[in-house]
Amino acid sequence: MLEEKLSYFINESKKLKESDFEKVSRIAVIGSFTLNGLAETLQVKCAKSNIFSHIFSGGYNRYNEEILNSNSDLYSFNPEICFLILDTRTILEDLFYSTYDVTENDRRIFVNKKFEEISNLIKFYTNKSKSKIIFSNFVPPTYSSYGIFESKIEYGLQEMIHDLNQKLSNEFKNDPLTFLYNFNGFVTNHGLNTVFDYRQYYLGDVKISLEKIPYLANELMGYVKPILGINKKCIVLDLDNTLWGGIIGEDGFNGIKLGHNDPIGKSFIEFQKHLLSLHKRGIILAVNSKNNYEDAMKVIKEHPNMILREENFACLKINWNDKSRNLREISQEVNIGLDSIVFFDDDKVNRDFIISVLPEVLTVEMPKDPSQYVPTLLELTDFNVLKITEEDKSRGKMYREQRKRTELEKSTNDFDEYLKQLNIKLFIKNADEFTIPRISQLTLKTNQFNLTTKRYQEEDIRNFSQDDKKIIGCARVEDKFGDNGITGVFIVDKNNKEWIIDTFLLSCRIIGRGIEQGIINYIISLAKKENVSKLTANFIPTKKNQPAESFLPSFGFKKLNDQWVYQIENHIDSTTSHLHISKEE
Amino acid sequence: MTSKLYEILSQVFDIDISLINDQSSPETIENWDSFHGLALIDALEMEFNIQFSISEITDVKTVADIKKHLKNHSIEI
Repeated sequence: MLEEKLSYFINESKKLKESDFEKVSRIAVIGSFTLNGLAETLQVKCAKSNIFSHIFSGGYNRYNEEILNSNSDLYSFNPEICFLILDTRTILEDLFYSTYDVTENDRRIFVNKKFEEISNLIKFYTNKSKSKIIFSNFVPPTYSSYGIFESKIEYGLQEMIHDLNQKLSNEFKNDPLTFLYNFNGFVTNHGLNTVFDYRQYYLGDVKISLEKIPYLANELMGYVKPILGINKKCIVLDLDNTLWGGIIGEDGFNGIKLGHNDPIGKSFIEFQKHLLSLHKRGIILAVNSKNNYEDAMKVIKEHPNMILREENFACLKINWNDKSRNLREISQEVNIGLDSIVFFDDDKVNRDFIISVLPEVLTVEMPKDPSQYVPTLLELTDFNVLKITEEDKSRGKMYREQRKRTELEKSTNDFDEYLKQLNIKLFIKNADEFTIPRISQLTLKTNQFNLTTKRYQEEDIRNFSQDDKKIIGCARVEDKFGDNGITGVFIVDKNNKEWIIDTFLLSCRIIGRGIEQGIINYIISLAKKENVSKLTANFIPTKKNQPAESFLPSFGFKKLNDQWVYQIENHIDSTTSHLHISKEE
Repeated sequence: MTSKLYEILSQVFDIDISLINDQSSPETIENWDSFHGLALIDALEMEFNIQFSISEITDVKTVADIKKHLKNHSIEI
């Protein structure tokens, strides 16, 4: 993808007004050199995701002071996300030029010292602030004064940097607050000679050329999006000239391009392989295509070179309907917001139509050349997640099961009868080391059935779970078609005779099956044991969480001032006879 | 080409095109600091597919100087 010039972002950033946005975030960028323009670019890119961002740009090479001084501007800015960008020249000091003036042993000592410095700095920061920190790894120099002999040297220049990178990577592998950004990978992608411009370096100590700043910002957005919970969950695909070359209705089963012996066919196979790998780690796939259903399904089911098969799609809309209508239906059937959807269609007319009627869908500007489909897909930073859980990996299977539930629902006339037939088992479990990552993940990404939409990081949940004034629980839902995994979370503050629901959320795919009633009944049963008289719920409205509010009066909560209150002494549990509820230890 | 140059100047420095002339300089254009100077070079190089030398860049004091160096790169002004 071709980025705009840096000056475009600088000018656009001036037009942004905080009051035009619902969501606001705070991002700090600090580093060992001039990073002018990065702040503005990040602001514009956040705005494209409907977030207004306040950006703190650190002083030139002042990252040590900013982190180590607890009274620094960095801490008073109080960021949610901090990027620390360091460069090899600064870190190596004179050894960058005269590496072999010191002995191998001294080079090892030097790298160890730098490793200690950087990791201590990062740990100091994460202890002090509540923010996540993303720090860059180092680019191994490609030049050595020893030339081709470099590879014969024990612990030479390149090995030093590789070792430092490896040490840093190992140190923070299990730290959920800290992420190592593969800046070296960025430089490999773009080429050191275009990322580092000697003129800009001499003129302004610029170590990432202005031309490449927007590309760097794009990669950093890959962290911003999942941290702020605005990542995408579903890819909707056209078929003709998107998943295979040609038009099935015209070229026929044997005429479409999808083969290993044909360069164009290979492009589509490779594109499908990358889609499948995203699917396997939790991205939902769906089809939206204008075609005869039977023609297209024959390819999906029977074509020997098809990579994606029927079971990989949560939803297949193959018909002659308007594509926006299909997208709306996919969003409803799969139960995710339109703004969680990425749409791939080779036809510009279709794309422009979707952009105009469904601007919340991310419609990807697909290149005309199918050989460029793969790089276009790989450049998207929208599918990143901070943690890949077991639920993510089995999501494809869950949606397949969901399709079967929908079929059962359609074939059963009576909804209560349908619920009974599902044979739902609800397992409730307190937060523990196994469930904490998933609990946090659900608070970060659940938008529809979410009473307060409070976003909690793993550390927050871990702290809550130590607090005996709080109940942190999650719900796993199973039925005759399979296991939905952990799909519900509740956090309750025990305030003497009044318990307050801090968080209550359900993953959208299990809403409407009495699970919500079941969980509240469970909370009430705990409250009764402690003679609590009322359960209070605060509802914090967002654009999307209306379903959560309408649940409250249907359960019997009454609105008092701004809160929803349930009188526990009046409670009769009659709504969930179709559920088998049990507590899991 | 003058119009293209002025268009880029106006974009980079975020000023009205009518305020730009040969004598425009960091003294007369508020946004023309060292960073925006680099952003200008970046924009010109991308637009005209050329590369300025460091002495050309440091020599630029006014818009007229930019025109002079563009001419050196066979960009017709």
